[in-house]
Amino acid sequence: MAAELTSTKLNPESHLILDQPLLRLPHELARKNFKTVQRTVEREKEYVLPALKDAANASLNNTHTPDQTLAALDAMISRMQGLKRKMENLQDEEKKIQIQSRKRIQHLETLHKIPSLADVKYDQWSRVRLDRLLVDHMLRSGYSESAKQLAQEKGVEDLVDLGVFTQCQRVVESLRRGETKEALQWCSENKAALKKSQHNLEFELRLQQYIELVRSQDKKKKLEAIMHAKKYLIPNHESQKTEILRAAGLLVFTQDTKAPPYKSLFSLDRWNFLSDLFIRTHHELLSLPSQPLLHIALSAGLSALKTPLCHSAFTSSSSNSQSTTTSVCPICSTELNELARKMPYAHHTKSYVEGDPIVLPNGRVYGQARLMEMSKKIGAVESGKIKDPTTGEVFDENEMKKVYIM
Amino acid sequence: MDLVQKEHERLSKRLKASQGIKNVQSSIDLLQSARDSIAADPTQASITLAKLQNPVKTSFDSINDSLKETHSGLNKYTKSLDKLFKDRPLPSTEHDALSSQEHLINRAIAMHLLREGQFSVAATFLSEITEKRAAVHAPDAKFTDHGINLLDVDEVPSTEIRKQFAAMYYILQEMQENYNLLPAIEWSRENREALEARGSNLEFELSRLQFVWLYHGASDQQVTGISGRQAALEYARREFHSFVPRYLREIQQLMGAMAFCSNLQDSPYGSIFNNPSAWEDVAHSFTREFCSLLGLSADSPLYIAATAGAIALPTLLKLQTIMKAKRTEWTTENELPVEISLPPSYLFHSIFVCPVSKEQATDQNPPMMMPCGHVIAEESLKRLSKGNRFKCPYCPNESHFKDARKVFL
Repeated sequence: MAAELTSTKLNPESHLILDQPLLRLPHELARKNFKTVQRTVEREKEYVLPALKDAANASLNNTHTPDQTLAALDAMISRMQGLKRKMENLQDEEKKIQIQSRKRIQHLETLHKIPSLADVKYDQWSRVRLDRLLVDHMLRSGYSESAKQLAQEKGVEDLVDLGVFTQCQRVVESLRRGETKEALQWCSENKAALKKSQHNLEFELRLQQYIELVRSQDKKKKLEAIMHAKKYLIPNHESQKTEILRAAGLLVFTQDTKAPPYKSLFSLDRWNFLSDLFIRTHHELLSLPSQPLLHIALSAGLSALKTPLCHSAFTSSSSNSQSTTTSVCPICSTELNELARKMPYAHHTKSYVEGDPIVLPNGRVYGQARLMEMSKKIGAVESGKIKDPTTGEVFDENEMKKVYIM
Repeated sequence: MDLVQKEHERLSKRLKASQGIKNVQSSIDLLQSARDSIAADPTQASITLAKLQNPVKTSFDSINDSLKETHSGLNKYTKSLDKLFKDRPLPSTEHDALSSQEHLINRAIAMHLLREGQFSVAATFLSEITEKRAAVHAPDAKFTDHGINLLDVDEVPSTEIRKQFAAMYYILQEMQENYNLLPAIEWSRENREALEARGSNLEFELSRLQFVWLYHGASDQQVTGISGRQAALEYARREFHSFVPRYLREIQQLMGAMAFCSNLQDSPYGSIFNNPSAWEDVAHSFTREFCSLLGLSADSPLYIAATAGAIALPTLLKLQTIMKAKRTEWTTENELPVEISLPPSYLFHSIFVCPVSKEQATDQNPPMMMPCGHVIAEESLKRLSKGNRFKCPYCPNESHFKDARKVFL
């Protein structure tokens, strides 16, 4: 009984490991939003205050006609109105994010009110979590439509990040198509944050643009490529020296070259590399884990559930000994069986068998009570006989032998 | 968690009270009124402008002040989040064994959606997989065949399974929404042999519920009394004869109850006829039997595995940090190094741990029973016997290696 109590104990704090991105992501978005506000305010301030001073000085020294002064003021007013509009938009955005965060906090809070893992409420909570994990997985694999539909049907839209991933997916697709525009735009939007990133996404994108210019073997394009390199690649010469030298060398090769580094530079696989790099950078920026949460949960879960019997060549005679009728183990079930094949199985220090075990002449072990009850239910067996539910063999009741499992 | 909630509350309040936009508006007003006065009287331009400098500057300063406040709120919230998730990083991503098996995961998801009755989502999901696959394989035609093949065999649950689940949901829906047991009874009759081999009572349980339901006057609450009883009896006469050998006692109970029809509530049979959870129970056991016949577990394996994963994660993470700190690795790759205690309902197989070697039995090292009835693993048995007679480690009985028999748990 004591063991049962500890195994159903729910420690909400440590149970939330999988749910970190749930709060982290909206928070990163809020911070990003805030920084945009800060930047725009700063920019307008740097424009309006000096402009105002200049206007005052100019009108004091009579270098400005009144019309010019008015025009300068009008310009300032329209800039300020622009600022106001921007701030209003950002504030709306902010509000949405806060409402979402609020709902997420509430969702996690309910877990704290659930007394144990055996509680029905935990079951419900965990189902919502599974839906979240599924949507997360779908979004990451690029199945946005399914993700959207599932989130809608289950009503978990506020607990999943459809928008963020759809945007990410759009950029990824544009990269796979061989376009750098959207990815570069994303880079410029996140310039400040990207400086801290360990990946140099922007450089790689610019390099790709350069490669595409060289690829054509057109003289004009090659000149353009050199200009491009001067503008975008050379500024990184400290950190990217070898890459820049290679890029320069690329000018004398054609795209069907077999020479090692140049062949890979011309390779179309580079686009896949770029899209992967983009995903990595994107997730890092928003503190999203790089692998789907579903993978993390599943690989832990599969191992925790797996027993050596799940992939055994012999059919196991027992299923869950709690129920009288056998139900199929989830790892043995078709859905997960292959997936779990390479996983380690769970560690156990104690045997766990049905109460009052007996062995049949064919070596199968059953709980006596369950075997008797099942034999009774199966009408075809005469009294005094028992039927092995796994193999279907029929034995005499006195052929049952007690077995001791420590 | 409380701290996070509090900080978030504070942050939202701060945002609501934020004066930023109001300050921007006040600078606009200042500029606008200055403009108006200059337009009205150009001679005053320099004075007006000079007067304007400080107020505009102050309003910018106050915008910045309110931004600073928001900033500190955000930072406090960050800290509370860090504190909540402190020492609990997500598991390291060094080896993700599952990402190479994407198609198997997708298949599991598709089947999960089907078994949860999310048919339209499942359809979208499958078509999106197909689309993506087609896009990936389109450039080289060589792989196209292969791709389509994979789709049929591996990735997508076969149409047969999809049909089966659709049938299951039709039956369940009829049962739960329309109190119509007939499709379920028909299904159980078609699969009678398989169900009987499993020792399942499903068909009889369904028929008995149908009998009770008829007795209570079917869906029509007015027709209680005689006509209901009549219908139930007729049903029994028509259908129950095939159950007589197996369920004689239960049928006798049902018939016996007829005699108490005027006061069924207080009769010994009351519980059979007024069981509030009867419909739910029957639906549950129907789902279980249906899935079992398909070789599937009754609860969604994906759900169970993900939940078990969430339960197991804290322990596994702790293990990871300890192992990293001590720079050790566990040697047996195919077994987890720690025991993870799952709730009893998550145990599906018997587990045999050899009491001598403390190892779990496997196909290569199966449990062996000595003539005295004690069981140890084969390897331990070999080590103990060394080819001679030996004493059982648990009782005085002596036996020989060849006397021991393999048992199946």
